[in-house]
Amino acid sequence: MQEIKDMVCPFCGCLCDDVTLEIENGEIVATDNCCAIGNAKFLGKNRLKNPIKKVDGKWVDITYDEAIDTAVDILLDADRPLLFGWSGTHGEAQCVGVHMNEILGGVIDSTTSVCHGPSILAIQEVGHPGCTLGQVKNRADLIIYWGCNPIEAHPRHMSRYTTYADGYFLDNAFRNRKVIVVDVRETETSNVADEFIRIKPGGDYAVLSSLRAILRGKGDMIPDSVAGVTKTQLIQVAEMCKTCKFGALFFGVGLTMAKGKYKNVRNAIEFVDDLNRHTKFTLTPMRGHWNVYGANEVMSWMTGYPYAVDFCRGVAFYNPGETTAVDILARKECDACMIVGSDPAAHFPHSCVEQLRDIPMIVIDPFQTMTTTLADLQIPVAVTGIDAEGTAYRMDGVPLKVKKAIDSDYPSDTEILTRIYDIMLEVKGL
Amino acid sequence: MMRVILEVKEQLKPNLPIEAECITPKNFLDPEREFHVWKGNKELDLTDIFHVRKDGNAKSAEQVEITIRGDSSHIKRVGEYMDGGKIIIEHDIGMHCGNFMSGGLIEIRGNADSWLGREMHGGKIICHGNAMDYAGSGYRGEKKGMRGGLIEIMGNAGDFAGETLAGGEIIIHGNAGDMPGVDIKDGRLTIMGDCSRPCGNMAGGECRVFGTAYDMLPTFRNEGPTTIDDVTVTRFSGDYTSRGLGTIYVVNCKYMD
Ligand code: SF4
Repeated sequence: MQEIKDMVCPFCGCLCDDVTLEIENGEIVATDNCCAIGNAKFLGKNRLKNPIKKVDGKWVDITYDEAIDTAVDILLDADRPLLFGWSGTHGEAQCVGVHMNEILGGVIDSTTSVCHGPSILAIQEVGHPGCTLGQVKNRADLIIYWGCNPIEAHPRHMSRYTTYADGYFLDNAFRNRKVIVVDVRETETSNVADEFIRIKPGGDYAVLSSLRAILRGKGDMIPDSVAGVTKTQLIQVAEMCKTCKFGALFFGVGLTMAKGKYKNVRNAIEFVDDLNRHTKFTLTPMRGHWNVYGANEVMSWMTGYPYAVDFCRGVAFYNPGETTAVDILARKECDACMIVGSDPAAHFPHSCVEQLRDIPMIVIDPFQTMTTTLADLQIPVAVTGIDAEGTAYRMDGVPLKVKKAIDSDYPSDTEILTRIYDIMLEVKGL
Repeated sequence: MMRVILEVKEQLKPNLPIEAECITPKNFLDPEREFHVWKGNKELDLTDIFHVRKDGNAKSAEQVEITIRGDSSHIKRVGEYMDGGKIIIEHDIGMHCGNFMSGGLIEIRGNADSWLGREMHGGKIICHGNAMDYAGSGYRGEKKGMRGGLIEIMGNAGDFAGETLAGGEIIIHGNAGDMPGVDIKDGRLTIMGDCSRPCGNMAGGECRVFGTAYDMLPTFRNEGPTTIDDVTVTRFSGDYTSRGLGTIYVVNCKYMD
């Protein structure tokens, strides 16, 4: 048995880089330091053995060469192809995807548009007072979790960076670090909070506005209760935020996908801005998929826009609500689709799934998923962090090298996409 | 006077969006001009999408009247940068109709998709049906939306109508959706029906709601009753998340308490 230390977990945006893997006969048999969901990914089975293609409604096994040719044909035939997913693969593959989208004249979008797309829109309006997770761990004496439940979705966030972590510049961090949780329901995380603010669904914007007005000394007009929160609690929370030494606000889809979406996030950013007149305060979106942040980085540096980039006219155009995958699919505005490292059939609204079923669809993914059932072609690949390697970005924007633990015969996403891309260049005479 | 009739042809793949920002009155003054439109990643001639009929002559954009017939609900950016003349759309129109328009008239007999009159500077848009989200708003990350002119929507408007409004006037005869006039700076937004959460983060300008404003934001100060055209309304100043320099008049309002 072989033990490998300091591996990166390719599951959630925490990208924990202290995982130990035990390898036996070229297979991962156990993990250490990993949480339950990360562990399940490392030990995951259900991998597709070879490429499959749907012929007359039945799956047939095909070779990688055939699969690549079929993918090229589908994409080059389209007038408006959509290349979606990307949060489940490494940065190098994302780069090839952007190049491919440019010569295809398609739309490239990542799962950002269904999680923290609103956060990015808000950041584009008013900026991002952010910092790395290391700063939070070592300095923050006040943590706010707004509309997120890290104990379930990012299980090691609190032990590595906040509540249960030691802080270099903090005395007795565990006792002195205060945690505020804001949510519409009680959660495991709210149960361990020092202060729990329970908001009525859709009330986030009003509560943030009220906190901002109180900070400005304009609390007189605030009624006794705002969206289920008492004025007394609002005043108390504003005071806690104002008087801390270093505050860090983390927020999840509970805020970004609630009514008002990006304007909620904008209000949260402006609340943090206002707090910076009194103390040091930062804000970080709790990014879900392990490399969804990477997809934003890659698209930004290559096209100028972080997601939902439309290259139909040869130049980049960006307008979430118009060029985002859910909107394009619901309006049936694409005629072919390639999904890389994502399972939209499991998460998208019904109207979008219908469109995925009705148009030619290629899936590049190691595993059989819900999306497989709607696909016309699936090409299995190696899993980054297990049998492939590459770059990923943590939720705070820190890039990490995701190493591989074992060798396998599966090609990586980068290899498959590059082969598809090279043939496209040849066909187009570029 | 020049009359141009554009009749949408039957389409293969009818759901794919078509971008046709070349359709403005001024462009038809030049008889030599080629008209290109985009359908997905294919660049096409205007005549691939429309039967085109042109009668009469014109010396200025003001003398050109364009009529769009047939199903134009997927045609985007019609009248972009229009500075005079008239466009009549007999049915529905796609997104971004009248972007950056500075003069002339666009009349939509059906419904308008999102971003109607985005960052408009002048002229007039009348939509007889409903308008979807972001009527008279700004582009993503843009500080200022509509700056001048008039948008009149006879039906309902979607969410974020008049987002970052910075001048001009929007009149919605039906209801507006959520957050009309959010981040408004200047100009006037009138909603004859209901809406929810008007004018969050208001920095200036005026909003009038003649129906009910649901989930009214708590950071506006009630300044007491007044009247507009014999209708009794309550005046609010706000938003006190910033300096409170805007004004909202509402007939009824409800808070989320
Ligand atoms: S918290 Fe996230 S990155 Fe860390 S081990 Fe768990 S799933 Fe993996």
